Amino acid sequence: MDWQSLWLTIRLAALVAAILFLIALPIAYWITYSRWRWKFLAEAVVALPIVLPPTVLGFYLLVALGPRSPLGHLWQALTGHSLVFTFQGLVVGSIIYSLPFAVQPFAASFAAVDSRLIAASATLGASKFRTFMEIVMPLSVSGMVAGVVLSFAHTLGEFGVVLMIGGNIPGVTRTVSIDIYDQVQALNYSSASITAIVLLAISFGLLAFVYALNRKVLAVWLWK
Amino acid sequence: MRNVSSESSASSAVERDIQMTSGVLSLHVRKRFDATKTSFELDVAANVSSGVTIIFGPSGAGKTTLLECIAGLLRPGSGQIAIADRILFDSSRKVFVEPRQRRIGYVFQDLALFPHLTVEKNISYGIRSLTPENREQKIANIMDSFRISNLRGRKPGEISGGERQRVALARSLVTDPCVLLLDEPLAALDATTKAKLIDDLRCWNEAHGIPILYVTHSREEVFALGDRVLMLDAGKIIAEGTPDAVMRR
Repeated sequence: MDWQSLWLTIRLAALVAAILFLIALPIAYWITYSRWRWKFLAEAVVALPIVLPPTVLGFYLLVALGPRSPLGHLWQALTGHSLVFTFQGLVVGSIIYSLPFAVQPFAASFAAVDSRLIAASATLGASKFRTFMEIVMPLSVSGMVAGVVLSFAHTLGEFGVVLMIGGNIPGVTRTVSIDIYDQVQALNYSSASITAIVLLAISFGLLAFVYALNRKVLAVWLWK
Repeated sequence: MRNVSSESSASSAVERDIQMTSGVLSLHVRKRFDATKTSFELDVAANVSSGVTIIFGPSGAGKTTLLECIAGLLRPGSGQIAIADRILFDSSRKVFVEPRQRRIGYVFQDLALFPHLTVEKNISYGIRSLTPENREQKIANIMDSFRISNLRGRKPGEISGGERQRVALARSLVTDPCVLLLDEPLAALDATTKAKLIDDLRCWNEAHGIPILYVTHSREEVFALGDRVLMLDAGKIIAEGTPDAVMRR
């Protein structure tokens, strides 16, 4: 069992879930309430990582974050090193890769809030921001927790994107799934099996938590 | 359309306006109404003075659409809405005041109480800008008037239908609205509870004297509450006058 890879993966997933929480909130809000006629195009872009092969996404990210791209060039000028094959590069790639797993549960839970409550809040003098903070968000807790947990779990198990933009540098970009791949390549099945079981247990625990939330088992508890 | 909501100096100006403009609600609203079973053009012109004006008519007559236009929840196709000299909507001058700045109380048919907030927090929601002392005083007074002081810490899901109705009324009235809109607020109540609430509402309005627009299907409520009736059908006023005169038709 490579504890270094596990710790790196958990750090990566936690950081990505935290950043995604902040990024996905305004995107989900806009998707839920915007009446822009071309909104479906933006929704399709956000959902792309669900259907795109991770290697394709990884390839585009490698090109977009590489030192020859404007973003990669700017990053290199600011930090003195490239964004690809670094932990920061992994974070950026994972945010894009897991974006729909946060945005979609957030948007679904915002849309489920009774529009009469939002109208009532407006007639009582509340701004859209206050309505969002005091009415929409508290009534969407289970969807928001589900979004954060799913983006954490999805980042935990990513492989193709990580391999493309992070490579396989121990302690820097080698995540658990790449470690399993390495172990299998080296015919070290017992070690691969232990790591795979740990990943399976964590993923199952997180998904069970999300489903419990959806059945309101935990939602009731969270409200109290 | 000029959107007045973003004017930052608004709050003191709005407060001043509210003091000045408690008066007649004048409206001329046109709005295309399309639903699955019916479609028509809402075209209503009326002056609503203080007292209870009942909007009476069959389902699909456009009663709720009219209230939503007045509250600013729907934007009329054309027309004007004003309270005394304060213009809330004027299509020719491209004015549309956002619902949050209209100071119009609205009690929804399904009440729309915030389920995650206690009764006290529901009631204080619209008066957050007051000082804590004033806010506390107003909450205590309104809870006392509507006999809901004992429900202070409970959530809407933990109280009865009649109590929820009183909380919804208190939540709207505590903001000192210039106009009160009630969309069939008593529809689901038994006769005794309804009679008590009608008394509460009458008492409150004797003290405050603002225009109240009250949507109902119930003839009993028309006679119990109404000072005046607007009978609406397919988006048009087909009769108006005292309850006796209109309901005898």
